[in-house]
Amino acid sequence: MRKRVLQSGLIALGLFWLTSAGVLVAPAEETISFRRDVAPILVDNCLPCHGAKKAESGYRVDTYERLMAEGDSGAAGFVPKDTDGSEAFRRMVSDDPAERMPWEADPLPPEKIEIVRRWIEQGARYDGEDPKALLTSIIPPPVYPKGPEKYAFPVPVTALAWNADGNELYSSGYHEICVWNPVDGALLRRIENVPQRTMALALSPDGQLLAVGGGSPGRLGEVRIYETGSGQLERVLVSTTDVVLDVAFSPKGDRLAVAGADNILRIIEVATGKEILTITSHSDWVTAVAWNQDGTQLASASRDKTAKVFDVEKGELLVTYSGHNQPVRGVAFHPDGKQVYSSGADNKIHRWNIADGKKAAEASLGGEVYRLVVCGDMLVATSADRTARLYKLDNLEQIRSLSGHGDWVLSAAAHSASRRLATGAFNGEVRVWNLDNGELVKSFVASPGL
Amino acid sequence: MRTAGWVTTVWMLGWVAQGALAEPAFPVERLEVYPQQFSLVGPYAGVQLVVTAYGKDGRLRDVTRECGYQIDEPSIVRVERGWVSPVADGSARIVVEWEGSRAEAVIQVTQANESERVSFTYGTLVALTKHGCNSGACHGSPSGKGGFRLSLRAFDPALDQVTLIREEFGRRINPFDPEESLLLRKPTMKLPHGGGLRLTAHDPAYRLLRDWIGQGGQLDPQQQPACVRLEVFPASGRVLHLPEASQQLAVWAHFSDGSVRDVTPLASFSSSDESVAEVDERGLVVGHNRGEAAILIRYADQMETCFLTFLKEVEGFTWNDPPQYNYIDEIVDAKLKKLHFLPSELAGDEEFLRRVYLDVVGHLPSVEEVRAFLADPDPQKRSRLIDQLLERPEFARYWALRWGDILRLTVGQVGADGVYKYHRWLEQAWAQNMPYDQFARELLGAAGGTLTHPPANFYRTTADENDCVEAVAQIFLGARLQCAKCHNHPFEKWTQDNYYGMAAFFNRVKKKPAARPGELLVYVARTGEVVQPRTGRQMKPWLPGRGEIDVELVDRRQAFIDWLTAPDNPLFARVEVNRIWSYLFGRGIVDPPDDFRESNPPAHEELLEALARDFVQHGFDRKHIIRTILNSRIYQTTFRPNPWNEEDEKYFSHQQPRMLSAEQLLDAICFVTGVPEKFGPLPAGTLATHLPAPDLVKHEFLKIFGQPERQTVCACERTTESNLGMAIQFFNGPLIYEKLRDEKNRFRVLASAGHTDEEIVTELYLAALCRMPSAEELQAAMEHVAAKRKQFEDERTSIEQQLAELSRQMEAVRQGVAERVRQHKFNQVPEPLRDDLKKALDKSPDERNDIERYLVDKLGNLITVSQEEINTAITDEEKQKIKELSEQSEKLRAALPAESAYRMVALEDICWAILNTNEFLFQH
Repeated sequence: MRKRVLQSGLIALGLFWLTSAGVLVAPAEETISFRRDVAPILVDNCLPCHGAKKAESGYRVDTYERLMAEGDSGAAGFVPKDTDGSEAFRRMVSDDPAERMPWEADPLPPEKIEIVRRWIEQGARYDGEDPKALLTSIIPPPVYPKGPEKYAFPVPVTALAWNADGNELYSSGYHEICVWNPVDGALLRRIENVPQRTMALALSPDGQLLAVGGGSPGRLGEVRIYETGSGQLERVLVSTTDVVLDVAFSPKGDRLAVAGADNILRIIEVATGKEILTITSHSDWVTAVAWNQDGTQLASASRDKTAKVFDVEKGELLVTYSGHNQPVRGVAFHPDGKQVYSSGADNKIHRWNIADGKKAAEASLGGEVYRLVVCGDMLVATSADRTARLYKLDNLEQIRSLSGHGDWVLSAAAHSASRRLATGAFNGEVRVWNLDNGELVKSFVASPGL
Repeated sequence: MRTAGWVTTVWMLGWVAQGALAEPAFPVERLEVYPQQFSLVGPYAGVQLVVTAYGKDGRLRDVTRECGYQIDEPSIVRVERGWVSPVADGSARIVVEWEGSRAEAVIQVTQANESERVSFTYGTLVALTKHGCNSGACHGSPSGKGGFRLSLRAFDPALDQVTLIREEFGRRINPFDPEESLLLRKPTMKLPHGGGLRLTAHDPAYRLLRDWIGQGGQLDPQQQPACVRLEVFPASGRVLHLPEASQQLAVWAHFSDGSVRDVTPLASFSSSDESVAEVDERGLVVGHNRGEAAILIRYADQMETCFLTFLKEVEGFTWNDPPQYNYIDEIVDAKLKKLHFLPSELAGDEEFLRRVYLDVVGHLPSVEEVRAFLADPDPQKRSRLIDQLLERPEFARYWALRWGDILRLTVGQVGADGVYKYHRWLEQAWAQNMPYDQFARELLGAAGGTLTHPPANFYRTTADENDCVEAVAQIFLGARLQCAKCHNHPFEKWTQDNYYGMAAFFNRVKKKPAARPGELLVYVARTGEVVQPRTGRQMKPWLPGRGEIDVELVDRRQAFIDWLTAPDNPLFARVEVNRIWSYLFGRGIVDPPDDFRESNPPAHEELLEALARDFVQHGFDRKHIIRTILNSRIYQTTFRPNPWNEEDEKYFSHQQPRMLSAEQLLDAICFVTGVPEKFGPLPAGTLATHLPAPDLVKHEFLKIFGQPERQTVCACERTTESNLGMAIQFFNGPLIYEKLRDEKNRFRVLASAGHTDEEIVTELYLAALCRMPSAEELQAAMEHVAAKRKQFEDERTSIEQQLAELSRQMEAVRQGVAERVRQHKFNQVPEPLRDDLKKALDKSPDERNDIERYLVDKLGNLITVSQEEINTAITDEEKQKIKELSEQSEKLRAALPAESAYRMVALEDICWAILNTNEFLFQH
């Protein structure tokens, strides 16, 4: 009896000590989740040296199966219920700087070590479906912090979109999408739980969903789908290893094409997040993507200096266009489906035939050409020469040049019904133009508080 | 009792401790801390204290990392390994203590906790440079790495600004959450990074980068003060004693507004000679060996050098006060004495003679010259010889060869006619001892037809003004400027603007075909400007050390030449005297001799300076400099090291053996064997060292031994690295073989003139090695001759025996035929008489009776066999057999050595062996 009291007293004391040191995160009985708790620690601290690009000492932690296996030393990374026999753990807690991981860096904070220790002690179990899946793909989507209440710096307007009615303009913020009144530039609301950077925005054809493509450079790419009315996150559609650079809804709205800095072009089923097609044809970032009008073909632009067209059903490459000889940044289909426009670091827009990959026309600008947007019979291009320009679709004849931005014009979105064009610049400024006469309707800095 | 014991123990301990203190390893006289006062302004300020202990023996020692630091106000500053960083505003006194001595520094801190803008140029870019991000192997390579390209060592801040802040939509920095920036996560390996771990969160650079990003990734304001110079403590010249020879450096940057910052943690350090001393990223120099090291310190676009000397007590070293012939010996000896290198002894006459001939006239002395010199008792004979050699025509031709390399004299570049005339001009410049400034002026100011005015060929060999700048810089300024064509020189002060600024002196030089075939007309156009390709700026002519200048002249070259050849131009004279020195020692005082830069300092600054001064004072008289060097004891030192200088390869304590150049070697082989080479259409007697161009007559042997093709102005094109081809040439090559077999070669001529073996061998030694053979060598040679003789006699006896045997066999065949004929004839004798006849024939004539005599008389002729009968009776087979035997005899007879042949083979062997010695192949 006395013994038991003493024991529980010791346990209580131990708990107290742990808590006071800020070590104890969860009550002792709570099960540690590999996906939620352990995998993020491994991805942040171990993966840089023990992954597909670098596999120091023959040991990798990019999948559960691999991280449990042996490295060159012959010792298994993790052994269920055996912290001493888990080589990876032993090295995390070693006192010898020559052995301690992360190599030549500060040791992991005690609370993180404690999570790993308890996971091992609880059996080092995997709570995902496929032990061969990449850790980056099984970690539950993060809940992001809100954007800054007031921005200290303008954030480059890398993406813009209109709502269906044309009375709301969405712009890329920091960890948020800002919703503006295009008439007076007032901030209407802020969509939260958004990746660090937003590189692309797309409204579903029915106007119900907003697809947000972006991520954290070098770490994570994401596409998140929000309900436009409520601004609520519907689902995280896809997670990749680097920032998503462009997204495009198929004409029917059931699919989303996703282009990213992981060099991959994907087609995802919007309702389920199922990856229908994975295209690895590009050798560098895929910077832009567009559907043709009947949704049978995709056109893509890439930093590998090419633009390509793919058959969606067969998943086949139809044509590669190499005429830019520079990174390609923008791409769009001609409504007739026979020609493609592409633009890039050669400061030009090219129009070329899908059938033979030959150039049919070109237009020159004064700087790199980023986005291409088709609106009715017009093509809109944004450029580092601080202009957005409107061209006739058929002959690439310039209709007008919209100048006034004080910095590179990165993004554009057109609303055909209200005859409005919004353009966004590196210095955070958004300008709303009248599509018909090119007059400036409104300009404002799309960074709350500035 | 117990107390007493305790006292005794304490007393003894005290005694032991005092005993240890009585003789410390380094008795300190005083301790000095640098700086004694410093003002830290702003949160990023800091100061590196350097603590020096001055010993009672006059030596000093850096104890920055060993001494104790006590701060009277620990809330004001923090100290770690002598680095003081601010904590809060106020004043703090830091007391340093080592081995009982103390010193103190007072540090004022202001604005420690105010925010300060991180400078893009002096914070961000310096941080990237410090950690190697923008080095040539990483993101500073022309195509960058992993899609991220920086300018090489931040020479192009405008480009870096776009790359860091804006490229890929500002991907690399995140002002909202700076530590999430790719720019920090990659080098700290929080994300996979091809370059590995380059930066940690504790590095000062990390804090600067983080804060610069957090401040929004801002550029510097236009009027930001510029860094104008660096100041390094200790100043150059500090002498440290191994093994405790480490030195913490402190680097201060002075800015145009008068402010001073200690930038030690941000400066980049490198050592000119890592075998002498290494330096780490915090500016701690650690000495390894005796010698001098230049520590090069870079910060932003500024550079400074700190020379440190490292000494070591060498056991058994005593200075032996060698004689000093001129100022060269005084200067070199002073340093050798300081570094504890004992100079080698004076070379013997033989060694000196061979060296001075090869160096001054490029070939070996004649046997008569060797004999005469060795026999000459005059103590002044070396100086006299030097004077004589400098006046010989071969001197001018040989030194023209070396300038031919530099000026790229080839038929391909200046045409066949041009190459003779250009070479002749060079030769005459040496023969007339044209002052070097005049030489440069005639060369660089040349215009007109390349045949009528040969120095104009300089502009024929330079493709354009860029090539011209590179050639002029390398030849006359000792600067390899090629890098600066595309970017600022990564380690030196040369910028891309400098390059094109210099090109503005030469861009108006044009060429067009002249009336005469093969001739070009060099002229100066009235207009023309140079545009810097990166900035698009039109360049004004720019001079090193002087900056941009206004030139009113149409021919701007004159302004450049005036500056170049001015007596106060420090580089012009230094480069030439160094080049001359490198020819005479096989190694420049600055080495390679055409690579003068801060990071490649001279091995002996005072020596270079003294030579240059002498050169200028004597009106750029090159012969005077050559003569002065040749007359120094340092030049005349033996190549043989002693135990106190065998480690030295840098300070000229002994001569350095070096392989003869291709041309010298070919001439020497021809001379020793006495069989000259014929070079195509060139007159008989032309030496390889006198060839105007390598492509005038192509010579396999010269190519193999490193004759340069003269494609560049670089001294490095002439290689003496040995290769297999060289070994094969000497071991079994056709050139040497044919000369050894030549009927009119040196030893055959001597032999036919009746000289003894001993005389001939001695002559070969004198010719090849400028010395008499030693008794052992001579004996070995004589033994070889004797052995050859015996070998030949044995061979001849053997052949004679074989001949006799063959002749016997032939006779046997003939006898066989004769016997067959005889038998046939005998069978013609009537049966009854045969036996009687046989009996009669078997007897001698005296023993025969009458009947027998009758028989023989009557029938004898029947059995006599005549030669004709044999010839008729001989079968084809027997004929063939005889023919074969007779042919064998003929062959053997032909192989039968002549009476004197053994001797020639022996002499060929000896001559071959001499040519294959290192003593022959090397100059020493």
